[in-house]
Amino acid sequence: METIVPKKEWSVAIRLNHWSTVVAIFILIATGFYIAAPFTVNAGETVNKFLMGDVRFWHIFFGVLLVFAFLWRVYLAFFSRFHADWKDFFAWTDKKNFIKQIKFYLLISKERPDHNYLYGPLQSLAYAGLLFLLFLIVLTGLILLGAGYHAGWTSLVYTLVKPFENLMGGLAVVRWIHHILTWCFILFIVVHVYMAFWYDAVLQEGTISSMISGKVFRKNHSK
Amino acid sequence: MGRKSKYENTISKQYGELMAYCKGHMEQMDKTLPEPVEDFQTLLQERGISRRSFIKWTSLMTTALMLPPIFRPMVAKAAENFSRLPVVWLHFAECTGCSEALLRSSYPNVDDILLDTISLEYHETLMAAAGYQAEQNLEKAINDFNGKFICVIEGALPQGLDGKYLTLGPKGKTGVEVAKEVTSKAAAVICIGSCSSFGNVQAAKPNPTDSAGIGDVLGITTVNIAGCPPNSANFTGTLLHFLMFGALPPLDSLGRPTWAYGKRIHDFCERRPHYDAGEYVEEWGDGGAMKSWCLYKVGCKGPYTFANCSKVRFNDGVSWPVMGGHGCMGCTEPGFWDTMAPLEKPIADTTIGGGEKTVDKIGAVLTAVTVAGVAAHAGLSAIKHRGQNKE
Ligand code: HEM
Ligand code: HEM
Ligand code: SF4
Repeated sequence: METIVPKKEWSVAIRLNHWSTVVAIFILIATGFYIAAPFTVNAGETVNKFLMGDVRFWHIFFGVLLVFAFLWRVYLAFFSRFHADWKDFFAWTDKKNFIKQIKFYLLISKERPDHNYLYGPLQSLAYAGLLFLLFLIVLTGLILLGAGYHAGWTSLVYTLVKPFENLMGGLAVVRWIHHILTWCFILFIVVHVYMAFWYDAVLQEGTISSMISGKVFRKNHSK
Repeated sequence: MGRKSKYENTISKQYGELMAYCKGHMEQMDKTLPEPVEDFQTLLQERGISRRSFIKWTSLMTTALMLPPIFRPMVAKAAENFSRLPVVWLHFAECTGCSEALLRSSYPNVDDILLDTISLEYHETLMAAAGYQAEQNLEKAINDFNGKFICVIEGALPQGLDGKYLTLGPKGKTGVEVAKEVTSKAAAVICIGSCSSFGNVQAAKPNPTDSAGIGDVLGITTVNIAGCPPNSANFTGTLLHFLMFGALPPLDSLGRPTWAYGKRIHDFCERRPHYDAGEYVEEWGDGGAMKSWCLYKVGCKGPYTFANCSKVRFNDGVSWPVMGGHGCMGCTEPGFWDTMAPLEKPIADTTIGGGEKTVDKIGAVLTAVTVAGVAAHAGLSAIKHRGQNKE
């Protein structure tokens, strides 16, 4: 007999963290592109207009939110009471599984590699890379933020990140790197969302809803 | 009210101590420095600067140096002592534009007159001596004022060909040799202009002569009065600080005095309200340009540039580049020819690998390719995994 057993995969913290990251990133991409190439508002008097001011406000608002979401995610990776998954980011070290996984993705074989870790081998690489991307965009974002505000926490953080500004070659380069990273996120989202749907369709374990409900549905073949 | 807060007490105590230190230092200087060549007040009168204008200037300079008003008399005294500070002015790979900008102006203000009176023991462009005689003057200056003079440097140092891209004087010394010799005996080294500070255009890609700024080549700490050319106030202010406190002002991580280079152009730009309002000049001479809208979209680099041009302005406060209608080029930042390019377009329009390829174009193409790839994979998966779930 085949039974379907729900298994808790993601804690509430991870799910909350994931979706706040998603919301922040979408808004940051939209507002970021406006900051990079703004259109002019011709109608009305200058005193009544504040479009760039508002867009920058929301970009920085969600930017700071993303900074905390990132720190929280790193914290969870080490100290989550449900499942501290930092080891799972090294799933790619399993060479045999790595090959199997590539074959599975390239549709050469239908054999699904064993999941010894929370993530598949390629998935682990992708998510580790992604956390690194997040780190870079948060770092460059904090530099751009600190350069314009000279008081409070912002200036305190700025003294910490200033050496990276000099290392990258000045604010102009920092801004450009920030812009390039934006495109990296867009590329990631396309593949990531596709893979979520693909897994959902191929494995039929409820991958998509798992990020909402926290549960995957494993088929249990009782002997 | 009425009673001073703890904060105010601390502040007035600190400034009291600073004042006492300043007075002590200036008395000490009075004894050790050579006598002034000319009396500064008579000089100002001769040049048509009234006492009132001079007092106004001291107030401005005091605020610019971020000191409270009680320091005004000290600034005035330091200005009077200005001509007593021995200065050796060296020229390396440069265009002399900084000297030109500082020494020539149609309506000289107090800063310009100060620079005219500066006791230049050695200045290659201004002095009459040449050849071996010039060489002797330099040696005499650095020995007479060993450890006391200020070395001002204009121009980058080429390091290629063992430094031989730049040779100076009758003995054919390289720039690097001269710089080492003179700076080792100076009380302080002030780099004037972006060439000596960071290398500037000589160091721009591909930098065939392997030029770099003085600090980088010699591995010493220099005060960098960056700019192409820098504002004369930033130089005089730094020297006044040295005269008043016997020490150089606080510097940022790139050696620039924070009182002048602590904030960005963009933070004090008079067009900034138009930036925040979303009002941009779209092309040269359009309606927005006539209304003095923000120059961000025609390539203003004010958001990436630390300098006080928007506050101090040039030519006796008449104007500055952004006021004149062209965006900031970022000339106070290291490597600005490379990092700020293209100068009349926003940063994101930088092309990669020549041609027309910007980040946005490359990004859009890659995204389209990825979407197509993903769609193809979906199609193939539907075939491969067909019917597998109907077991
Ligand atoms: C996925 C995350 C993010 C994306 C996609 C993003 C995107 C962008 C883009 C496209 C720009 C314009 C760059 C240009 O002019 O070429 C920008 C500017 C900026 N971003 Fe972000 N950003 C992100 C995260 C952050 C974070 C975490 C912060 C800070 C906490 C931040 C702060 C800023 C600031 C301050 C600016 C400059 C705005 C100005 O000074 O006018 N960003 N961002
Ligand atoms: C169909 C919707 C989506 C589903 C089902 C989904 C599912 C998942 C799952 C299962 C993970 C691994 C869990 C984890 O490591 O925390 C993950 C990670 C991640 N997802 Fe999504 N995702 C979706 C959409 C998105 C979107 C649109 C974005 C970006 C805007 C995004 C950003 C991320 C990030 C940044 C990570 C890795 C960081 C991390 O490990 O927390 N996701 N996603
Ligand atoms: S003109 Fe330049 S410095 Fe001034 S507000 Fe616009 S972008 Fe900023």
